Amino acid sequence: MTSTLTDRYVAAVLRTVPGTRRPDIERELRASVADAVDDLVAAEHDPQDAEIRALSALGDPVRLAAQYTDRPLYLIGPGLYLDYVRVVGVLLATVAPLLAVGVGILRHLDGAGPGDVLTSAALGACAGGIVVVGWVTLAFVVAERSPGLRARRARPWSPASLPQLPGTRVDVPELLGGLAFLVLGTCLLVVFQVFSPVRDAGGDPVGVLQPALWDSGAPVLVLLFALARTAFDVVGYTVGWTTAHAVANTVLSVLFVPAVVWLVLTGRLLNDEFFRIVGWPHATAVPGVLTSVLVVLVVLVGARDTVDGFRRARRTSRRHRSEPLPPPSTRRSTSTGEMS
Amino acid sequence: MIDDDVLSTHLQELRRGTVVLASLLLLRRPGYGYALLEELARTGLAVDANTLYPLLRRLEKQGLLTSEWSTDEPRPRKFYRTSVDGAALAETLRREWADLSTAFATLEDGS
Repeated sequence: MTSTLTDRYVAAVLRTVPGTRRPDIERELRASVADAVDDLVAAEHDPQDAEIRALSALGDPVRLAAQYTDRPLYLIGPGLYLDYVRVVGVLLATVAPLLAVGVGILRHLDGAGPGDVLTSAALGACAGGIVVVGWVTLAFVVAERSPGLRARRARPWSPASLPQLPGTRVDVPELLGGLAFLVLGTCLLVVFQVFSPVRDAGGDPVGVLQPALWDSGAPVLVLLFALARTAFDVVGYTVGWTTAHAVANTVLSVLFVPAVVWLVLTGRLLNDEFFRIVGWPHATAVPGVLTSVLVVLVVLVGARDTVDGFRRARRTSRRHRSEPLPPPSTRRSTSTGEMS
Repeated sequence: MIDDDVLSTHLQELRRGTVVLASLLLLRRPGYGYALLEELARTGLAVDANTLYPLLRRLEKQGLLTSEWSTDEPRPRKFYRTSVDGAALAETLRREWADLSTAFATLEDGS
């Protein structure tokens, strides 16, 4: 009866110890426990009580086994933790907006209403975020337990990799300007479409966009794109713009630009009636002045945005590399130059 | 009044590492885990059993201790003994300890 507890304890320790080391550890552990029990019994303890005391002093068997085998008792240790947080941050900031847009488009193509599209987009982004965090965590847990992978990690930290002070990354005016433009633009578009001063014969307002397009809920998709773009900008402002952001940003442009161009070229974007009433009946013709200007404008904005993303990423990574910080005066002039 | 938790944390930090030196010194004469545990406790260097036993194996793996099973007694025991490398390390650690002690003495005189 007295041996059961010790047997169970030893078995629990050995369960997580490699087979080759088991016999040796078992013999020594049993001898140590027996010695402790003997001592306690000699000090006039009841044998059963002595065994309980001896085992209690050794503590949780799994913890003891971990110490025997040098196994870490944490998922991600201090050596990798900061890298882990950075990777999760960058991936979340890029994957979640892309997923929101992607899911939104799919739901829209399924014929869902605006509310449904927005909800699905938000849920898609959340689900994607959870999956991303899960996989990155798993990868880092594996790396933590692979000495080879841990040894290969990262060059030592240097002051050159210090993040810029706020205002020199994505510039504050650029960030606020982008947000203001977005809000104003959306309001103007909605107000103009719904309360347009241009009236038809019956006195109803005639918007500049095709009513069919408006009713289809496509503006919700535009809103999604705008929100994703804003998310990128805010993240770029707070943690710095990375290549991952630039790639995600490009994906957004690739999704957005051809779609708008297609709408313009097939006459699905602009409302013919609107232009007829304002006295420019052939404005929506393809090829035509207005449609050509629109297409060129959209393509240019998309291209500029894409190039801009990569330029920002390169600027960030250049700062992260070893070059010493330039003296304050030259730095000021460079950052002004970069703002253009 | 210092908080008990704070106090014990600081004491623990200061004592960390002394177990290695004490074990290397004590095991110049062969000894087994439980006997070493008791002896450390008697000399005022008390350490937990679940710290000491894995530590002995780690030191053995690093070549600082050698081990041998003694089957003469009814209860077979693993006897550890400080190796030549272990003795050298003990000497280095002891000198370090003495240097630290001198440094603290200087600090106190200076104030």
